[in-house]
Amino acid sequence: MRSDTKKEGLWKFGAYIFLLTITVLVMIPLYWMIVAATIPQSEFFTWPPRLIPGTQWLANFEALQENVNFLRSMGNSVIIAVSYTALSLVLCSMAGFAFAKYEFRFKEPLFYFILATLVLPIQLLIIPLFLLMVQIGWTNSYLAVILPWAANPLGIFLMRQNMKAIPDSLLESARMDGATEFQLYYKIALPTMLPSLAALAIILFLNQWQAFLYPLVILQDPQMYTIPLALADLVGQQRVYFDQIMVATSLAVTPIFIVFLTMQQYFIKGILSGSVKQ
Amino acid sequence: MATIDITNLRKEFGDGNERIVAVEDFDLTIQDGEFLVFVGPSGCGKTTTLRCIAGLEDVTEGTIEFDGEDVTDRRARDRDVAMVFQNYALYPHMTVRKNIGFPLRLSTKKSTDEIDDEVEAIASMLGIETLLDQKPRELSGGQQQRVALGRAIIRDPQLFLMDEPLSNLDAKLRSTMRTELQELQTELGVTTAYVTHDQTEAMAMGDRIAVMNDGELQQVGTASEVYRAPENEFVAGFIGSPSINLLTADVDGATLRGPGGFAYEMEDPSLVEGHDRIRVGVRPEDLELDPDGGMPSEVTVVEEMGNENFLYAVMGDIDITARIESVIHPEAGKTVTFGFDEEDLYLFDAETTEAVKTKTGETDVDYDQYVQPSH
Amino acid sequence: MVLAAIQSRIRSSAAYKQVSDGVRYTRQDVSRIVPEIPGLPYAYISPFFILFGVFLLFPTAYTLYLSFFDYVGVSNEVLLTVTMGPMEVSLPRIANLEFVGLSHYERLIFRDSLFHRSLLNTTFIFVVQVPLMVILGLATALVLDAKFIRAKGLFRTLIALPVATGLVAYSTIFLLLFNGEVGLINYVLESVGLTAIPWLGDGFWARITLVIAVTWRWLGYNMIILLAGLQTVPQQLYEAAEIDGASRWEKFRFVTLPQIRPVLLFVVVSSTIGTFQIFAEPYVITGGGPSNATITVVQYIYNQAFLQLNLGYASAVSVLLVVIVSIMSIIQIQYGGGDS
Repeated sequence: MRSDTKKEGLWKFGAYIFLLTITVLVMIPLYWMIVAATIPQSEFFTWPPRLIPGTQWLANFEALQENVNFLRSMGNSVIIAVSYTALSLVLCSMAGFAFAKYEFRFKEPLFYFILATLVLPIQLLIIPLFLLMVQIGWTNSYLAVILPWAANPLGIFLMRQNMKAIPDSLLESARMDGATEFQLYYKIALPTMLPSLAALAIILFLNQWQAFLYPLVILQDPQMYTIPLALADLVGQQRVYFDQIMVATSLAVTPIFIVFLTMQQYFIKGILSGSVKQ
Repeated sequence: MATIDITNLRKEFGDGNERIVAVEDFDLTIQDGEFLVFVGPSGCGKTTTLRCIAGLEDVTEGTIEFDGEDVTDRRARDRDVAMVFQNYALYPHMTVRKNIGFPLRLSTKKSTDEIDDEVEAIASMLGIETLLDQKPRELSGGQQQRVALGRAIIRDPQLFLMDEPLSNLDAKLRSTMRTELQELQTELGVTTAYVTHDQTEAMAMGDRIAVMNDGELQQVGTASEVYRAPENEFVAGFIGSPSINLLTADVDGATLRGPGGFAYEMEDPSLVEGHDRIRVGVRPEDLELDPDGGMPSEVTVVEEMGNENFLYAVMGDIDITARIESVIHPEAGKTVTFGFDEEDLYLFDAETTEAVKTKTGETDVDYDQYVQPSH
Repeated sequence: MVLAAIQSRIRSSAAYKQVSDGVRYTRQDVSRIVPEIPGLPYAYISPFFILFGVFLLFPTAYTLYLSFFDYVGVSNEVLLTVTMGPMEVSLPRIANLEFVGLSHYERLIFRDSLFHRSLLNTTFIFVVQVPLMVILGLATALVLDAKFIRAKGLFRTLIALPVATGLVAYSTIFLLLFNGEVGLINYVLESVGLTAIPWLGDGFWARITLVIAVTWRWLGYNMIILLAGLQTVPQQLYEAAEIDGASRWEKFRFVTLPQIRPVLLFVVVSSTIGTFQIFAEPYVITGGGPSNATITVVQYIYNQAFLQLNLGYASAVSVLLVVIVSIMSIIQIQYGGGDS
């Protein structure tokens, strides 16, 4: 028995060490980002490098703004990601509601058809989308980035799955209480679905916030750059300003970190429902 | 308040070649202010009928009239009907106050204050005034039930529809709510159609009971009518707990012979005239231990209820249930003999299952003598 | 593949069973809401389907089409004109094309050494990165699932934080960390007496850098999924195994692993699909270099399509990539799906 307890203790100790190691390794790059964003460029080349955050963040940020209009990129990102998320939520929840709660012809084939497109990778669409946007003159426009994935197969799938859980009697009860057909959707179905909507909203927002390849193709005017494009542009400049890059990076990730930390349960629900394992 | 007339109702589900008939040949009038209970086994069409009355299902054929006005093609929301669902169907995102007030907010032009006053009046009537600002998931089953009732009552509808509203409650609460519902219905006087699969509940609650099977209405009547004078074998078998003992007997003049040595000499042979075979029914409480009776049965189990004993036995390949005095404890494996009075005997046609003879002799007692004169 | 898995999930769900069993009259839980307004469901789904058709279906089909053509230039030709009363809408041709048959595919498969290079690079990342990440993710999830661990929420949050980091954003951090001259990693190596590694200057190490970066970004994501899978394993199974005298390893081998196999398979398949689509990381961190040692397939597609405007050829690469990834997924599901 005693050797068992000892073995058990060793096991627990090892487990903690492993967990701590992983945590530290994961945190290092993020910590380094903070350090790098708050020290002047000159101190990058000191030996040994700085390991403690400095106070230069604002100065670095001003330099960044002067170099590229990063705030403008943030604004672009916010406009695109927010409108995309809102539009996609409306489209997916409305269609998901119909698929979950109504009977209509071709319902099953249509739904499975959408499901089949879940596996289509983005690079299969980019070239025609580019040609299309060029032809209708939408390059360098918000709409060109917002519209294409707003009809999101994953979104409609999640909405349908979750809305199926709404009891029919709830909708019938509302009908008897005098609700119109449209009120069934927005007064009953939508409000009962808020957690799922939040989870889906987070997935959609995050996908659009960090989208790179497609915006890179469509948005070529620096005035229209989203955050990832502005960051990549900074990296690709003739002379590379690490301090500015890190300031920009910290600006790019902080809002999402705040969302992540405050709405972690929806975040995780989103990730899990995205993995379709329920 | 309304009288509901249902004429020749037929409801089919599905399309193309796979049509399923849920309800057919259904004629019924629910009287103004009546508490009518639909009862039957699951799948008998009782809920479908209720949903047709509600306007939640289109009817395939037939008409539904409220006070002589044809509402067959009217939408649920325009029928002035309130419904309590089995799972209560409370809106999870609304507080109790909002839930109860929801129908008024949708269908009237009353101000928020007026609605609030009405909600509070109803909540206090139902004893849930302290729960008004809670969400449904914070409430117990019984409390949710009351909220659902409140939401139905507040509209002051012509008709209440209730679909197994008590089946999600535990046994004790169910009997409390049963009484409460009846009192409430009497007080409000609103015509009510109530669906249950539980015949005890049906007997206890309904002014009249509509027994359904396989999509067809079998019989409508008061509790004692369907119990004493079932129109067919199905009603006899469905109503009453424990259920009636049934067996098939060969008719030989005045003598009935059945499985396991069953033999009975009819006092009135004219009843079985013209039948070669007949279905015989005796209710468990009408069986008595009688050494001269015609039902030799082997005892399998005796359940003691305290006030009486349930005796389970087999006669040939037939299971027999009898309710006997609590002081009699036959041993399992012993053979006993049951007898019964002919006036308690039920007979059904072996082919059509229609009743040939039902209970006779029992009549209602004049109870005026027991009533205290009121001042 | 993934679709089949989804469909079988749906088929096994209670609601679906009830529909398919043709439950007769008691149709509880089965959706039977008949719209009061005929055609309403179509009104609900049509906005979705319009966008879906224009921006998803059409481009997919067009990519396949385009892969048999050479792109010549933008077209001014009118394809068809639709007259709607006073309005006249004319749809132009998408592009001027020249039919080349299967020659793109032939060149890709037999002659394009840079494509082969990019495929090899991507495969290298896949072969090293996916096992590494799955094993690390599983180990982390197992430890976090253990009863005795305190502050689970904190550990989980911290390890999952990279999930919330944008692809380009984290790539810039790794670009800096692994920088040969000013990077933190080499500083640490040198200060413990090791020699600095030419992370981004050497082909092999540049690929390793990408492996490390991708693992960092996705470890927490996969851990969350695996942890959720572990939490669905019924506790009684462990207790039964314990009573049967199973060791810790045996419990893992005979209880945990079979129970979480579907989740594990999902993680492997989605990670595979993910690694074959890597673009932002090499674009930012290595630029595909040094001397094309880290160029990935998607990067190659990007270069061909948008730097050299070989849109037809790039479409062929896209189609081929989808075929390759599909085959790999099918193999994994066949191999990992087990008897069921």
